[in-house]
Amino acid sequence: MAFYTVSNVENLRVCVVMVGLPARGKSFIAQKIVRYLSWLSIKAKCFNVGNYRRQSGSGHPNAEFFDFNNTEAFGIRQKAAEQAVADMMAWYERENGVVAILDGTNTTRERRDWILKICREHAIEPMFLESWSDDMDMVLRNISDVKKSSPDYEGIDPEVATNDFLKRISKYEKVYEPLDHELDKNLTYVKLINVAQEVIINRIQTYLESRVVFYVMNLHIRPRCIWLSRHGESLYNVEKKIGGDSWLSERGFRYSYKLPDLVKQSAGDADLTVWTSTLIRTQQTAQELPYKQLHWKALDELDAGVCDGMTYEEIEEKYPGDFKARDENKYEYRYPGGESYRDVVIRLEPIIMELERQENILIVTHQAVLRCIYAYFMNVPQEESPWMSIPLHTLIKLEPKAYGTKVTRIKADVPAVSTYKEKGTSQVGESTQDGTKFRNILLNLPESSK
Amino acid sequence: MSVFVSDDEGLMTEPIIRPGNHMARTGKRWSGSGQVRPIKQSNMDGVHESVEAEDYMSPGQLYSTESGRLFHAGRILIVLVGLPATSKTLLSVAITRYTRWLGVRTKSFHVSEYRRQMTDTVPDEYFSAVPQTKEGIEYRQKVMRIVHEDMVRFFNDTKGQLAVYDALNIRRSERKDIADKFSTMNIKVLFIESHMTDTKLVDRSIKMAAQSSDYYGLPKVEARAEYMKRLNLNKPLYESMSPEEGLSYVEYINFGQKLRIYNNHYGYLTNKIVFFLMNLREKKGCVYFARCGTSDKDNYLNDEELNEDGKKYSEILTDLVLNRINERRRKSHGARTPAARQISLTPQSSQSSLVPTQASIDRETYRGDHRVRQTPSWDGADEDSFVVWTAPRKRTYDTARFFQESGISVRQRSQLQQLNPGVVADMSDDQIRTEYPMEYSEWLKDPYHYRFPRAESYHDLAVRMEPLLLEMERMRGDILIIGHESTLRILYGYLMACTCTELPSLNFQRDKLIEISFSPFQNKADHIPIPPVDSYSSKWSL
Repeated sequence: MAFYTVSNVENLRVCVVMVGLPARGKSFIAQKIVRYLSWLSIKAKCFNVGNYRRQSGSGHPNAEFFDFNNTEAFGIRQKAAEQAVADMMAWYERENGVVAILDGTNTTRERRDWILKICREHAIEPMFLESWSDDMDMVLRNISDVKKSSPDYEGIDPEVATNDFLKRISKYEKVYEPLDHELDKNLTYVKLINVAQEVIINRIQTYLESRVVFYVMNLHIRPRCIWLSRHGESLYNVEKKIGGDSWLSERGFRYSYKLPDLVKQSAGDADLTVWTSTLIRTQQTAQELPYKQLHWKALDELDAGVCDGMTYEEIEEKYPGDFKARDENKYEYRYPGGESYRDVVIRLEPIIMELERQENILIVTHQAVLRCIYAYFMNVPQEESPWMSIPLHTLIKLEPKAYGTKVTRIKADVPAVSTYKEKGTSQVGESTQDGTKFRNILLNLPESSK
Repeated sequence: MSVFVSDDEGLMTEPIIRPGNHMARTGKRWSGSGQVRPIKQSNMDGVHESVEAEDYMSPGQLYSTESGRLFHAGRILIVLVGLPATSKTLLSVAITRYTRWLGVRTKSFHVSEYRRQMTDTVPDEYFSAVPQTKEGIEYRQKVMRIVHEDMVRFFNDTKGQLAVYDALNIRRSERKDIADKFSTMNIKVLFIESHMTDTKLVDRSIKMAAQSSDYYGLPKVEARAEYMKRLNLNKPLYESMSPEEGLSYVEYINFGQKLRIYNNHYGYLTNKIVFFLMNLREKKGCVYFARCGTSDKDNYLNDEELNEDGKKYSEILTDLVLNRINERRRKSHGARTPAARQISLTPQSSQSSLVPTQASIDRETYRGDHRVRQTPSWDGADEDSFVVWTAPRKRTYDTARFFQESGISVRQRSQLQQLNPGVVADMSDDQIRTEYPMEYSEWLKDPYHYRFPRAESYHDLAVRMEPLLLEMERMRGDILIIGHESTLRILYGYLMACTCTELPSLNFQRDKLIEISFSPFQNKADHIPIPPVDSYSSKWSL
């Protein structure tokens, strides 16, 4: 069951149509919206017109390809757009999609009218989302990011790629008609000027649209990193107890002494802010870090209610029904008097919004909370996220990019118990006969040097 | 150089080492709840009640902190800007209602209220943003000083987090002074400038303002004239906000049709307020609450159909609500346009049982006329819309059956699914006390946040229903909501600004229809008796 079932008629469907010149962060924003809505259990998908064009055989086009007078190429691009829109409409119908993002430049009014018409014919609400910028520093930064990660410039000399890309942009500039105060006054649209320095919101018609706009207003596209760490090994971890507000173990303190070096290794001299929960073990873990610190109540561990302070064995013995119910649907299961993963996701929303607004942040928090935050950045589905293994004494680095998030992990060489519990057992620790296929998500990642 | 600032922005103290192995969580999500506060009269709008109490707790709050501040948002002052009749009071009250619901300690400071409470006579000059006489200048300064002092006190002495300053603020110099004064106190200042280009909206605002308590007892025409005087006095003095002022501000155009946001870097809470403004609409209709009709067992587990009495009840309800709405609509037709006079004011039975309003008349008159912007007709788009929302249970949507037969849109809303009572479903108080004594005593301590095993708490329900609250804000016409008592409590609790101590004990009986009507300063709840089933003879063919 979707938690935020949003509609003012029964089957509200929204199409977010991206508008803007190349290198304005459109793909980045589009990906982000998909991740955010999926995280809230709203079915969303991005349709990238560029991908369709590449699939049609125009893999590494040069700037001339994007000349609007190049009729042959224009035909190919038109076809790609048609294919993307056709697939999008099929997705609404067959998979009960709720929010689709049409990621393309859609720079001309003619093209936008064409999309508008198709949407209206299919009873889909179109919302135009324009990213407009005259900040050349930002554009160049985006270009350097794009040429590193865009499939269009695979294996091409960076300088050549940059020049070609600038040329490509100038082709678009010739035909670009930005959303207009007067001409487009009857459309539902959002215009982001230099990211969110100025935002214009016009004729928002539904709650769902307002929710997307709210989210986008919090985004920025300056480069930054997010580091995640669980607290160091706690006394309760050693005793195999869950929850509580215990101190760190001796090994946990060793991790806290090592953490400043690990962070330095990964972040260099960059400044960052540390966020911890209000529980002692995260604050002790962060106590040696020479940065500004904030404590968030919303980062506190999933509340295990009556089971707080018990071992899994005790829970299995005392509440066998609950123990089983939790294994069956860990995302929705709520401890008596406590919380479920879904509850945690809801209380984390302000954190996610603030995280989007900030630059470099290191979060020291707890297993369940970290799973939810990680799931947001990596688009992990909710059936899998509660089962991810996130080991103690490991620093995870996330780098948001236009086409996805890059992850690295740095292990501190400090031993710790495993707090991972597989499905169907009350024993903690990672066994060799692992029944849950998702738990290794982190372990398979490239590891940076110790 | 670590600065320890917690969510509540107090300094961190040394952790207390507890002896032995008792390291259980002590910080609860809800501090302070469980104390009994005097419950205000439940048909009073609580939006102007004090939030200064230590244990102030509101329905949609995600957690509580020692300082009473949330989301690391610090302290914020919202300054409204705009000529008279730009709905500033309505905006400030609506923002107060919503942010309080989120758990923020918010208070509106309406300069007009302060002025009304002053005992000495107000010089006419006072109403100008730039008075010319000495008397006018002094009086104005005096009022402003009192308001500013109260706002400072609110922030510094009573854990206030968000103040909304409702005054004209149409002069640049005034805005700069306020921004400077509060910024130095480490309070973030956000301006919201409301202006209207739509003449219809302006007319309506003037009409509403002329009904304010300032003109109590004056004939309509005179009240309007008085009011226009105030408006015209200030028009030439108005300096619109511009990015050059270097302030953070939101331009709020034609009641939310368009918003422009400049230099907003204040974080979650201000963005959340912009989000709310996207959903806020000017309400012309009412919200009605009613329970569903009776079924034989009337319990949680069975999804039963209505019994005979239940069916009769739904007929009575349909008549009552339609009459009520039609009566109000007839009254609103004072002077009618010549074109409109040709349209009958009695319901067109073939299509709808509702009396048309000005919006429906306009829609009919100008349909297909490309020179005129067409009046939209989706749910809640204008004053003439009437929609019935029901829970997704047989007996609730069956209760709406006669509305459907009268041509009214009926929507099943999944968010209206009642509170899941978990293991105590369909048990009486006595049964719960005997079978779950521990749980029962916990529940008594905090009926709002406590959850029986496998149940939802009211808090869970409130958080789950937030989208519906905002959709309710979007509806400009009438809505009837037929639902379980638990969901009605949440919706009513939001509209009437109840605290979470009050909310679980709100009472909705089957013999009362609740009508909430909206005015800029406060909402009003009326209880309208529903005639008993046995006194009623059917006019519908069942």
